[in-house]
Order: sequence, then structure tokens, then C-alpha cells
Amino acid sequence: MAAIFILPQTAAAQDRQKTYGGRIEWYQNPVSGREGGVKGTVVNRNGRVPVADAVVALYHGDELIARASLDESAQFLFSDIDNGDYRLVVGAPGFNSTEVNVKVEGFVRDLVFVSLVSAQKTMTEFDESSFMEFDMDDSGYDDAPSLLYGNDVYSNIAGYGFSAIRFKNRGYASESQEVYLSGVKMNDAVTGYTPWSLWSGLNEAMRSKETTIGNEVYDYGFGGYNGVTNILATPSSVRKGWRFSALTNSALYRFRLMATYASGELDNGWSYAFNVSARLGGNDWVKGIYYRSFAYYAGVEKKFGDMHRLSLVAFASPTNRGAQNASTQEVYDLVGDNMYNSNWGYQDGKLRNARVRKTHEPVFILKYTATPLDNLEASATVTYRTGKNGYTALDWYDTYDPRPDYYRNLPSYFWMQDSDYGRNSYEKYAWAQEAWLTNYNSTRHINWDRLYNVNSHNLDADGLGRSKYIIEERRTDQNDINLNGSVKWQAKDWVTLTGGLNWRWNKTEYYKIADDLLGGDYYINIDQFAERDFASDPAMIQNDLDYYFANGSAQRLFAGDKYGYDYFANVRDAEIWANASFEKGHFRGYAALQGGYSKFWRDGVYRKGLFAGLDENGNEIISPATGNVLTVYDKDGKAITSKGRSDVADFFTYSAKIGASWFFTGGHRVYANAGYFNDAPTFNQSFISPRTRNTLVPNLTTTKTVSADINYTYSNNGYDLRLTGFWTKIMDQTDMMSFYDDSQNSFTNFAMTGIDQRHMGIELGFEIPLYLQNVFLQGVLSWGEYIYTSTPHMTQTIDNSAEVIIDNQPVTYWKSHPIYRKTTVDGIVTYDKDAGGNYILEKDQKHYVPSTPQLAADLGIRYRSNSYWFVELNGQFFAHSYLDMNPLYRTMTAVAGPDNAMTDAALEEHSRNWFLNETIQDNMGLSPQEIEYMAAQEEFDPVFLLNASVGKSWYIDRKYNFGFSLEVKNILNNRNVKTGGYEQTRLIDSESRTRYYRFDPKYFYMSGVNYMLNLYFRF
Amino acid sequence: MKRIFNIKLTAAAMLSSALILSSCEEFTPVFTGKYPEPEQWSPVEMVVTHTIAELAGMYTPGKAFEIEDAIVISGKVSTSDQAGNFYRSLYIQDETGGIELKMGKTGLYNEYKPGQTVYVACKGLWLGMYGYDDDEAYGGAGMVQLGFEDPTGEYETSYIEVQYLIDQHIFRGETGEPVEPVAVAEQDLPGQWDTQADNQYVGRLVTLSGLTYGNEIFTLLYVNPNLDHKTSGNRVFLSDQTHGVTTWAMSEQKVKEHLQAGDWDAVYIGNSRDYTYGTVGDAKNKETLLKYAAPANVSQYFKMGEKEIQIRTSGYCRFADLEIDPDVLAGKKTIDATGVLTMYQGNIQFVLLDQTGVKVNE
Repeated sequence: MAAIFILPQTAAAQDRQKTYGGRIEWYQNPVSGREGGVKGTVVNRNGRVPVADAVVALYHGDELIARASLDESAQFLFSDIDNGDYRLVVGAPGFNSTEVNVKVEGFVRDLVFVSLVSAQKTMTEFDESSFMEFDMDDSGYDDAPSLLYGNDVYSNIAGYGFSAIRFKNRGYASESQEVYLSGVKMNDAVTGYTPWSLWSGLNEAMRSKETTIGNEVYDYGFGGYNGVTNILATPSSVRKGWRFSALTNSALYRFRLMATYASGELDNGWSYAFNVSARLGGNDWVKGIYYRSFAYYAGVEKKFGDMHRLSLVAFASPTNRGAQNASTQEVYDLVGDNMYNSNWGYQDGKLRNARVRKTHEPVFILKYTATPLDNLEASATVTYRTGKNGYTALDWYDTYDPRPDYYRNLPSYFWMQDSDYGRNSYEKYAWAQEAWLTNYNSTRHINWDRLYNVNSHNLDADGLGRSKYIIEERRTDQNDINLNGSVKWQAKDWVTLTGGLNWRWNKTEYYKIADDLLGGDYYINIDQFAERDFASDPAMIQNDLDYYFANGSAQRLFAGDKYGYDYFANVRDAEIWANASFEKGHFRGYAALQGGYSKFWRDGVYRKGLFAGLDENGNEIISPATGNVLTVYDKDGKAITSKGRSDVADFFTYSAKIGASWFFTGGHRVYANAGYFNDAPTFNQSFISPRTRNTLVPNLTTTKTVSADINYTYSNNGYDLRLTGFWTKIMDQTDMMSFYDDSQNSFTNFAMTGIDQRHMGIELGFEIPLYLQNVFLQGVLSWGEYIYTSTPHMTQTIDNSAEVIIDNQPVTYWKSHPIYRKTTVDGIVTYDKDAGGNYILEKDQKHYVPSTPQLAADLGIRYRSNSYWFVELNGQFFAHSYLDMNPLYRTMTAVAGPDNAMTDAALEEHSRNWFLNETIQDNMGLSPQEIEYMAAQEEFDPVFLLNASVGKSWYIDRKYNFGFSLEVKNILNNRNVKTGGYEQTRLIDSESRTRYYRFDPKYFYMSGVNYMLNLYFRF
Repeated sequence: MKRIFNIKLTAAAMLSSALILSSCEEFTPVFTGKYPEPEQWSPVEMVVTHTIAELAGMYTPGKAFEIEDAIVISGKVSTSDQAGNFYRSLYIQDETGGIELKMGKTGLYNEYKPGQTVYVACKGLWLGMYGYDDDEAYGGAGMVQLGFEDPTGEYETSYIEVQYLIDQHIFRGETGEPVEPVAVAEQDLPGQWDTQADNQYVGRLVTLSGLTYGNEIFTLLYVNPNLDHKTSGNRVFLSDQTHGVTTWAMSEQKVKEHLQAGDWDAVYIGNSRDYTYGTVGDAKNKETLLKYAAPANVSQYFKMGEKEIQIRTSGYCRFADLEIDPDVLAGKKTIDATGVLTMYQGNIQFVLLDQTGVKVNE
């Protein structure tokens, strides 16, 4: 049948239609004057959230009468139709289509809700903790899902299916993903990290969510370039009824029990809901990991008339969780297991993990929503987050490193094939290897018994044991208040205005406590790193100089006492934004603006001996024991202080977004978005050494991002497809790290500014019904190039002093490094030279944004029977994943080695076009071998994975629902899949003294074959 | 109703089977309760076959060797690395002498207490000497040590270092009272070629009384410690006079202070017959020295009667920057020193355990 596309003729019809958003294509002319019709809202069965971009086709018999393409409100209305029996076929991208039979009898029948079931993973448990939580504070690791799936065919598959490999959508850092709770942005104020762990274990209460992808705008916020996820979290959004589930799995924790109840909206306008869960035990793959994690959620909501709605929600996820650690390949090979974890050991025969996350951070949400007019909705929300967030670790004083995989305990420390390493005792290598292979005296693990014995053996004159090893708990305790207001106003039938205000107040205390003295009686609050350099001055080694002045000695610490460092991060953010959306016929478009102001400062509680600053009267502070002046000054002549308020760093930011889309008949849509973003740096990137001083990173500036995407979607007759091309450039990022630099023989702070990167690529997601009924072929492809595009500058300072080692110098090999042409004869490599004696550049090797596959693909077959069976099999391929780079290895100091004598002119010329000749090599110590060795970035091997899942649910009396799902991942049991890792920052001196060698990098691996079985019962 | 009951039953059955499934696997052995205190370590006792002097007597200068016999020695720990003047090694002593065990671990005092008995099963370890020089006039004996093979040949022994090796050779016995230092008279001091086999005081904790200051130090700095330590152009010798050094040793800060004060500006870089690299005071040299300044070991020269005693102190130790009493430096007062008597190329090098080893005589 040739589709005749006719817009409704009458103005009245058009108006009515506009009230409901979206467009209707009529295939038969509607007849005005008829009273009959049908209307409703298409919602997700989970939480009754409107499903955007749904298509509702109205049939009379087999004859297509009209097709409505709905907007975000998901409301539809077919009016002016004859009486009779009709069939509605309702579908939406990412949902299983459904059919509803309707009888039209001379009035507009209101179906209220037509609910759709998500096409994907309705039976698979999605748990934020599925995202392996690696806890590498210093390596950029965090525990966040790569992206959340909403109604998008691509995200549906990639969001869950790519999590095990730690896929980052479009290569973006997870901080760029904006996560909202009840319309309030909850990304961590101090770090920007996504806050999933706050509600992990509350899957049911937090199930209802809305998502946008890439640059798209969102109704309740401006969003960034990496999508917005808004978790509704209100009691009325929790699925009505009781639900119990039990889950066991072999890759995370052993067991989870969960119970949920939601009242739905009662006749009196009240709704309430609760959700509790417990997650317990370890897993089959990584020893030492365990969960003792609970979660609770309670919410109450009241609707007052048609206009007001008030809700109050409280939840938290009190958790103790043993963490995993990365090790070098040497260690994994010695143990014969890539899932080896060095964090644990036996204490009196009991397994104990030294690194435990201990958190309990309750969140409260008070939300008020008003709809004074049909076309006006406004809301005001307050959130409050508080509680404790701790992470334990071993701390030790004046004794050796207790970690089993410390490099001096490994065979490679004693012998390396290349004698230039100066590691030449093969015999010791063999003994160390023997100890590891046989696990002699628990070589592979922390020897807790020894630590206790050392502590109790160390009696002082009073007969008390001074602990040499303790467990410290690093605390990051937040108090975070958000005030948020937003308005949505449909000003005209073709224009909707949304806008809002946010204000955030955050005060976070960073400190540590002596958590467990491990059999000793006390510990002492001094800075052992300062003591190494300044042992002769007792004032300089004080963590808390004021205590020392008052008491004449450093504080003796008992379990639970604060020590080490103590400071507050203070953050204040304000933001205003507005968005105008237009809709006319086949066109939809928007333009949005945002302006913000953010400021932060550090407030030190301790006065450290190293950075004593000035006293209350502005006088220098003198060490009583030695008479030394403790006050030190920076290069601008300002006293460096650890106590009190730092300078305030503040930033004005502004961003803009624009987008347009065009709907074609037959389910095709083309749309494009573009945005410019200006983001303030976060607190944690902005201080040189926040634990010890108030000094801000020099040259702090906002990060600028330009991003654009163009998309095509097709959704019709069960076919679902999205193809996207994207391009993003991120500029002027800052990074801050602290590490021991062997070339300086000191602990140093390394601030890197001006980091630019470019992300571009394509995304494809599709779902195709096969000829067999209920069988679908589905797949996704994410193929991009995410690279560094600038030469950042760095400033390196000594942690223990005011000394600046390197002041704003380029990190020469950050974005790429040269590869020169070479000839290999009998295994001997010689670099070719041209007639002028210059090395011949063969390639400029790019360096890539790490820790995500830049090529990721998934192809699967899915079957869903009419009797609620569900089977899926899919294969995945990942490639072009790179190891996180350590900037030290890309500096000239590390590359050229101790004999580095590069002049400024030579460096300038070399940086411009990688010019290098023998003269430079001989006189300035830079050789092609050194560059290729030190600056290169590791690329991980490609990976193929096979996964399957099966599930079934039973409905009894339309009231009771019982079901299970079983998922088996990595069926081929591939245990060599690197999911990330990091380069160590240490250097090995060479015997020749002309170069450095790297320490081995550390890796994380994905679990081998693992299952997840979920049973649920609900009514 | 019955049907619903059945469903509930099935649900219960499946739930419990899930529980069983999970408990069939080791229900994670990570213990999360209150951990029990581990058992206390208990001291070892072994049959001793040789004295330290007997063991040292098996050594021939220049001929380090692997001990192949089942020799067991024992002694009490006489040193502590707590103050940092001993580093990665400790001395044990019996009545016949003391010997250094090159352990290769830091914080040894935490597990090897002064006065604690230590047994060494020597088979498989190496006996060698540090500081031997066969030059008839200027050379002499060094110290016989127990360590492991040094395949580079640079030294006669290396650190044992591997925990597995330590566990098989070094055994901790009863703790006890710290060793009492022995007063040694000038005539009992070891001669140029004496080792632990010849003189019972070598390697033991002793007190030398009435030392007068010798107005001389010896220290070796490296212009850039990251470059070759043997190249003449990378070395600076401060010797033959005091060079303004009035502390037992020099921390990095102290070295910088001297450099900045210009105390050593006139000192030539290089060996005495190779003064072609300019002086410390040359701007370029000074800049490099300051940039790479590192703690420096210092030998402060004293005299016990006619005998020269070098008190050698590490730049990394906690009392490195401790000022020597000006009256001592001026020759107005003498000191009594308590520490370990060691030999280096025939000279007496005296190593303090900590600053309490120096007593100024009024």
C-alpha cells in the first residue's frame, strides 16, 4: 500500500495532536466529527517511565490506519476514527513490541498505560558491582559502569555486555558521564567520579532511569558530552508489589539476597517503597575479594491533588569489601594464575585482606514537584550525602615492605638476562623463584603472623610494644548538599523551555586513622619520609607540629586515632542552564546554554613540620631543638603552609549545545548534536600534594571540549538500528600524581597541564528479526580512534621540600614517539642513517587514550518464546586497547637517561620533527633505542569472548511471577584478557649509566568462565 | 490455592539449591570477624660447631669461598640498624670476635634485637672479606664477612637478601641483655693485617677511651651519583684536612649547606693525579653537585695514643648532622667512643651504633 502522507486538516485536530507531542502519519484521512478515539502513554514496564521515540501503529484488520511517532512524553492520541475493533502495535527502540486490541465505541478510550518490556536483559541482573571494582586510586581506576542502557539499541547491548572488559564508551573517562539522582547531579564534587557505589545493591529501587547518549540534552540538566543517566529513585517509580530475589555468582560475590516492596500510588495519594539487600562472600577467581555488604532504601511520596507531589527518600549501602590488587606479569607467571591477588595472607590460619573498603554513606533526597498548569512543571530538590568512606591499607615504619609482590622479593630483582640491569645473581634468582613456585612459608601472601610478632617483639622502656606494621584506614568523609530547581514549560505547541539552577556545597575531610595496631600497643604520628631526609630535626618530621609544640613529643597513637594527614576539601558550585526545544512537523531541534561558577580550597587541620608556614602573628616558625627556621617559601616568596586555608581557585564556566533531528516516514530518523563545554578542574587534580600543603598546581585552567555527532536510526517492524559518527576534542586537561622518582631519589609530585585528546569513531547497534519467529540477530560495533594530541607541560616538585625539580617543561613523548628505520642482521639491530648522518624517521607512533578497547564488537542471537523462555548467545571481539601511560617515561630525563645533555635548541628541533643524529646521540645521550624502549605504549592482545544466558519466568494466576535467569560469561574460559593496568613510575639504573630501564607494568585480568544465577519471586 | 503453594515450594527449593550450590564451592574463606592473635614466635636452639674466630680463620685473603661443611656458629647481636649507621646488615659476636652478616634487609633491629642469640647455618653461604688491600705499605686487612656469592666479582660477598635463603641460614635464638662493650687498650688494637682470626676485638662492640681529634676527614662525593662512580671526573675527595666538616657525617641538606657556603670551592674534582675537571667552585660543577646532592659518609680521624682511629659514619644515619663538640674539635677535650671495631685496608674504622656511643671527657 502506498503510504499517503497527509497532515490532519483541521486546526483543531492539529492542536489536539500537538498537546500530545510527536507526529501522526495518517494512511487514511481521518474523518472530522467522529467522536471515537484511543489514547494512552507508552511506558517502560520497569517503573512506568515514558518511553521516548515509541512508534504506535493503528490497524483496522490488516489495514494500517495511522502511525504515531511519539516524543519523550510518550503520549499518543488517535482521534476522529470510526467505531470498530482496532489493533495497536506498539514498539520502541530497545523494547519488545507489543499488541493491544481496542474497541472504539464513540468516545476516546483511554488506555492509560501501554507498557513495554525492555528487549534486553529483562531477566539478567544488572548490578553496578558487576563492574569489577579495582580500587586503584592512583591509577585512574574507579568502579563505574561504562554506560547505562536505556532505550537505545546500541547501549542495550554495549552497556551490560562490555562491562567485564571495562569498556569506556567513545573512550571517554567515566567522570565525563553525568549521573543524576532524582534530577540532581551526583558526580563526586571533589573528584568528579561517578557515584554508583552509593546505591550499589539497591537494584530494584534504582532500576527506573532515564538516559541520554553523547551530547544530547536532558530535561533536568544540561549534561555533558558523554550522556546523562537520571535515576528516578522516587517511591512511585519503584515497580509495584513484592519482589524477592536470590542470586549467586562466581565472579563477584557469592550470594545476594534482596527484598523489595512498593505500594504504587494509593488512592489517597501516598506511595511508599523499600528495598533491602545483602551481598556476601567471595568469588571463584580472585582470592581475598569478599563482600559483606548491605543496602537499604526507604521512600515515601505524597501527591496532593493534581498539582503537588512531595517525596522523601533515604538510602545507603553499608559495605565492607576486600579489594584486589594488580601485579606484574612475572608474579602472575610465578603463581601460574593471572587472577592472583597480593592483598591477602593468613593470620593464624585465617584468610585476611589488608585492603578493605569500608563505607556507609547515607543519602537523603527531598523532592517537591508541582504541575500548576498542564504545560508547566517545576521541581525543587535537596539532597544530602554524609557518612564515612574508608579504605584500609598496610602502613609501616622503619621496617621492610610487607607486600609479597614487592619488587625486591621477586626473582627478577636478582637476575636479568641483560647484564646492563646489574642484576646478576642467577642463584638468588633461582632461590627466589623456588620460594614463589612452592609458596615456601607463604611467600605469595602477606605474612600476618610475622607482622604481629614484629609488633609485639618491639618493647620500649615501658614494656609497651611500638607497632612497626599497622592497618591504616584512609578516610574520605563527605558532607555534600545539593539544591536544585528545574522548570519545564511548554510555551507554545512547538516550543518547550526547560531550565534550572543548581547549587552545591561540599566539605570533605581527608584523613587517616590507625585502624588496627596488629598486636602492638601504639604507633607514632611522625612522617617517616621526612625522617629519612631530616632525621636530625625532630620538628621537621612532625605530622602535627602543634601537638609536638604543646607536648614536646609526637603523639602516641592508639587504635582509632587520626594521624598522618588531616585536611578539608571545600567545594562550592553554582550552575544555571536553559534549553529551548522546537518541534515542527518532521523537525525537532534544541539549543541550550549553561553558565557556572565553581570554586574550591583546601583547609589544613595539621601543621606539618615540613611546611610549617607562618604562625598566627605572621612570624616564621623555629624548631626548638635545632633553632632551624622551619618556614619555607615558594618561588614567589610566599610561605608554604600546611595548616589553614589555601588560596581559593575559582572558575567561570560556560557551555552550549545545539541539535536537530529530522524524522522520515517509515521509521527513519537523522539527527545531529554539537556542543562546546567548559569545565572547571576538580579539587583532586588541582593541588600539588594535598596531604601535605596548600600549594595549587600552577597554570590551572578549565578544560575545553568540542564535540559533535551525527546519527541515523531506523526502527520499524522489529528492526532496530542506530549508526553514529562522533568527533570530540578535549583540551587543557590537568593531571596530578605523586610517586617515587628514582632519577631524583625522592618522592615527587608531578603536575601535568595542557593535556589534549581527540576521540572520533563510529557506533553501530542493530537488531534484526530473523525468519524464525521470536529470534533476533543483534549486534553492536564501536570503532574509534582515541588519541592524545598535545605535548603537555609538567612541573615536578620534591614532596619533602619546596624544591622544584622541573619547572613547566614539555613531556616530550606524551602524544607520540618516533620510530626510526632499522636493519636487523643476525638479531643485531642497527639504525639506518642518511648521507648526513641523521637517523631516518620511519613512523610517528601515536599514543592512545588507554584502558578501553578502541574496537569493540558484539554479535548475538536472541530467542524469546511466548512461554517466557529466553535464550541468548553472543560472541564479542575487542581490540586496540592500550595500557595507561606514566608521564615520567615520556620525559626526556627518563628517555635519554642519566647522561641526558640535550640542549634547549636540540630538544626544540627534536620535538619539532623528531630530528636525531649521531652527534646528538654521542654528545647529548639520546638514542633511537632509548626512545623506542622507554616511550612506547603497550597494546593489549585482541580478545574473543563467548557468553550465553537463559531464563524463564512463570506467571501464576496473573498475580505471582516466579523466574530464574542464568548467565554464563567467558565460556571459552579465556584467562589472558587484560582489562587494564598501569605502568609503574620507577626506573632501574643501568650498569652503563647511560640509560634507564622500566619497572614492569602491572595488570588486571578478566575472570575466566563464570556464571550468575538469579531466582526471583514477585507478586 | 494449592497451585500457589506448589509454586512457593518450588521457589523455596530453588532458593535452597542456590544456597547449596554456593556452599559447595568453598564459601569464601575470607574471614571477616575478629582475627585471633597469631602465636608468638619461639626461639631456636642449635648445636654450635665453630667459634667466629675459627670460622674467620678458614678465610685466606682474596679467596672468598662457599662454605661446604655443616658449620654452625652463633653469637649475640651487637649492632642495631635503628639509627641507620648500620644498613642492611648486622654483627654478631662471641668471645673470640665479631662477624658481619650481610642480611640485605632493612629494619633488622625489629627482629634481631641487640643481645639476641643468632645461629648461622653456614653451609651454602660465602665467606669473604670487605676492604682488603694487598699493598704492603698502604694496604692491609679488611673484615671477614658472611654473605652470599657475588657473581660480578666486584665484592667478595653479596647480601643474602632472598628471604628463602635467610630462612634457611639465619636462625633467631633467645633474646638477652645487650652486649657489654669491652674496653680495649691501645696496645691491644689490631695491627695492619689482623682479622677476626688474629685479634679477638675485631668485629666486636668495644670502647676506646681518650681519643683526640685528628683534624682530618675523608669523604667521597659524586658530582652526579647517577653517572659512573669510578670515573675520575665524577668524584670529589675531601681529605687530608677538615674542609669545614664538623659533623659526624652529612645529610643531603648538610652537603648542600657546605656547597652553598662555598666551603669546598677550592677542592679539585677527580683523583689526585687527574685534576683536569676544574674545582667544586666552578659554576657548572657547583650546579650539578647541588642538583644531585646526596648524603655523604664521613670518616672523622681521631688518635688513640699513636694509633689512628677513623670514626666512619653514614650520611643516611639519624645523627649524621650532629655537631661534634667544638672543644673536641679544638683538641681541648677527648672522647670515649663505643662502637664496632672494624678494619678497612689495614686501618681501624670505628662504627658508632648511635650518638650515645660518644662520651666527651670533661
